[in-house]
Amino acid sequence: MTETLHNLYLGFSVALSPGVLLYAFIGCVIGTLVGVLPGVGPLAGISLLLPVSFGLDATSAIVLLAGIYYGAMYGGSTTSILMRIPGEAASVMTCIDGYAMTRKGRAGPALAIAAVGSYVAGTLSIVALMFLAPPLASFALRFGPPEYFALLLLGLLVLAYMSGGSMLKSLAMAALGLFLGMIGIDPMTGFLRFSYGVIELGDGIGIVPVAVGLFGLSEILLTAGQPTASEVVRPRLRELLPSRAEWRDSFWPIGRGTVLGFLVGIIPGSAHIISSFVSYAVERRLSKHSERFGQGAIEGVAGPESANNSATSGAFVPMLALGVPSGPIPAVMIAAMMVHGIAPGPLLIAHQPELFWGFIASMYVGNLVLLILNLPLIGIFINVLRIPYPLLYPAILIFCVLGVYAVNGSVVDLGIMTAMGALGYMLRKFDFETAPVVLGLVLAPMMEMSFRQSLSMSSGSYGIFVNRPIALAMLIVGLALLLLGVVPFVMKRAAWRQRLGFSAQEKESA
Amino acid sequence: MKLNRRFYLFFVLLFLLFSATAESPAQESYPNRPITLVAPFPPGGVADLTARPVAAAMEKVLKNPVVVANRTGAAGAVGMSSVANSKPDGYTLLMALSSISIIPEADKLFDRKPAYTMDQLIPIALISADPTIFVVNAARPWKSVKEFVEDAKKRPGEISFSSSGVYGTLHMAMEMLSHAAGISLKHVPYAGAGPALTAILGGHVDTLASGPAVVIPQIKAGKLRPLAGWGAKRVASLPDLPTFKELGYDIEFYIWAGMFAPKGTPDPVMKRIRESVKQAVGTPEFKAAMEKLQTPIAYLDAPEFQKFWDKDAKMLADAIKRVGKVEIEEKK
Repeated sequence: MTETLHNLYLGFSVALSPGVLLYAFIGCVIGTLVGVLPGVGPLAGISLLLPVSFGLDATSAIVLLAGIYYGAMYGGSTTSILMRIPGEAASVMTCIDGYAMTRKGRAGPALAIAAVGSYVAGTLSIVALMFLAPPLASFALRFGPPEYFALLLLGLLVLAYMSGGSMLKSLAMAALGLFLGMIGIDPMTGFLRFSYGVIELGDGIGIVPVAVGLFGLSEILLTAGQPTASEVVRPRLRELLPSRAEWRDSFWPIGRGTVLGFLVGIIPGSAHIISSFVSYAVERRLSKHSERFGQGAIEGVAGPESANNSATSGAFVPMLALGVPSGPIPAVMIAAMMVHGIAPGPLLIAHQPELFWGFIASMYVGNLVLLILNLPLIGIFINVLRIPYPLLYPAILIFCVLGVYAVNGSVVDLGIMTAMGALGYMLRKFDFETAPVVLGLVLAPMMEMSFRQSLSMSSGSYGIFVNRPIALAMLIVGLALLLLGVVPFVMKRAAWRQRLGFSAQEKESA
Repeated sequence: MKLNRRFYLFFVLLFLLFSATAESPAQESYPNRPITLVAPFPPGGVADLTARPVAAAMEKVLKNPVVVANRTGAAGAVGMSSVANSKPDGYTLLMALSSISIIPEADKLFDRKPAYTMDQLIPIALISADPTIFVVNAARPWKSVKEFVEDAKKRPGEISFSSSGVYGTLHMAMEMLSHAAGISLKHVPYAGAGPALTAILGGHVDTLASGPAVVIPQIKAGKLRPLAGWGAKRVASLPDLPTFKELGYDIEFYIWAGMFAPKGTPDPVMKRIRESVKQAVGTPEFKAAMEKLQTPIAYLDAPEFQKFWDKDAKMLADAIKRVGKVEIEEKK
């Protein structure tokens, strides 16, 4: 304990030195911008700044790049809430209730709770990172392909169990997402699937063009299709902050989102995206008023926004404690360390205490900077809603196109975005949820890979999924959830029949 | 209200202005506009980390901007074919890895229209070559290649290895070892060298072949045990580690990075590029950068590089043919 405090003191003396503080600030500002721009996600932002960081010392470089990563989680919520365009993939769930709140004139509170939730989650998860990094990292390593597959299957079942609308429709959408995720090179054999000679499709369909198309473009199309432009309630300045009831409603979602996000974050993969889905599903299920979800429930903003921030800290656990990347973003940061001659590995914390503790301390400082930066920005961002639609929507379209193109410099991505926009428009006309499509797309490659890796490890025996304790435990939880999900489904049906009968009787008597 | 509207209109216009790129008028002498050096892999990978210091050093030599562009996708095929099919004017160059020889072979195997063919590209120079190192999880019993091979012969198809992906460089290295030692191992491919490392650290697979920069920190921490190296010479930072050649296996494998230009680039331009690369790799800044990355510089000019490449490509092609199409049914 005293040692930790001593180390933290060392860390803050590094983090509060003017140079490091400046780079933390720059990283946070860039991160916020990257998060706000649709399409351009933290990976693109970090990749662009990687060469710039070559000229800095190692600590400043890592602090700068990490600032972009967690800064983007703050910024990502902005366009999701104001325009229903996910600023980056982890903000897809925020679109649903965040935008619904905007339509009700509660954009200010939604933005505020997203920022506060991110701050709380960011700070608490750093505490966890500080104390638990080494033991948790070795736990994460025990996640081999079978455990991973069981976890992802559990994730899908959680989605089915928590789904608010028609279960069948959500599962159909998840299946569509899984199918889209199958496009591209077969990871185990090298065969091309469903690519029809388009070389870019060999890499699969990106999450960004799909998310921007399904959410952003479809919204623009829907609005354009309405006879009169829908009236957004213009925000009043004194309504920028959440009400007492909204604070109360957000308290536990933020707490749960923090814990959940951190735990999901440790496990390798696109953790910050998955954590936001899981958190949304959990909040909807736990809520006493689950019917409010999708209609502007503040819990639906508070939970996922906390979870995706907390997941970024979780993702640093394997990177700092073991030197293994838990996703593409930590991989770029490991490269940045190597450029500075620091070998990331199990001995990093012992050999580079200044880097490790300086990094930890700078995250405390950075999260505070982001909160201070983001709260006043709400007042500015909210003005976007005052722009008339004829001007705003073409501008949004330009941002979408530029953002999606910037990710890979690929015109095919623009085609995918357009097609997904049209598809999203139709799906929403027919009352399908589009979020499960994105979840399916995120999960598909990982699920397939881990399933087939497991079978390859066991030489084709399915026993591998039940012989390993962690995997078995998760499969049992998944099965239990599925059964629990079916019970109210059956009950509801009975109730529905009764209700129908009742109303029929009423009609007769009338 | 009106002010706000104007402000945003201005903002949109400004954005449009910035996004429109202007091309400078062409002049006669090369180079007179920015050169693009394509790295077909994402930032932070070997290709990218080699390309950036080369580009920085070339910029000083040529007194002309050299921009690194990450054009990623399809295991590098997207970026490589974009250079192979670009205008041969010396303004689009490629920083490729050994996998440049693998993709066309794999395309042949599957009767696919190749994304590019190797004769569409001409070599400029070899920049670096890193021998792969054969490591096993420290909890496994084998202390030497001999022990490992004896055990593997006793239980064929049971000892596993992870790789960066099917037909990837790390897969090819292990394939050469299996062939030379007459053993059969279980292949569990991962998406990239990072996840492959995680898999062996977690004990989900037994062995791995990977670059020194990746495995040496784990070896020092006692998590992995090296058994041999694929180089012709021993790795400087692991002087006690024998090479496969010393142990009697005639195999050599390097993860190398080299520069290429599209075929048809005019000779005077090629000459200028080669000279500038030669000067660039000699600069102290470049040497310092590569030392930090723990990647040895292995500069070879075009003619020698061509010989090296031919030999390497033939070796890889043979290995791919031996692997053949990976069967979809799981092996029993």
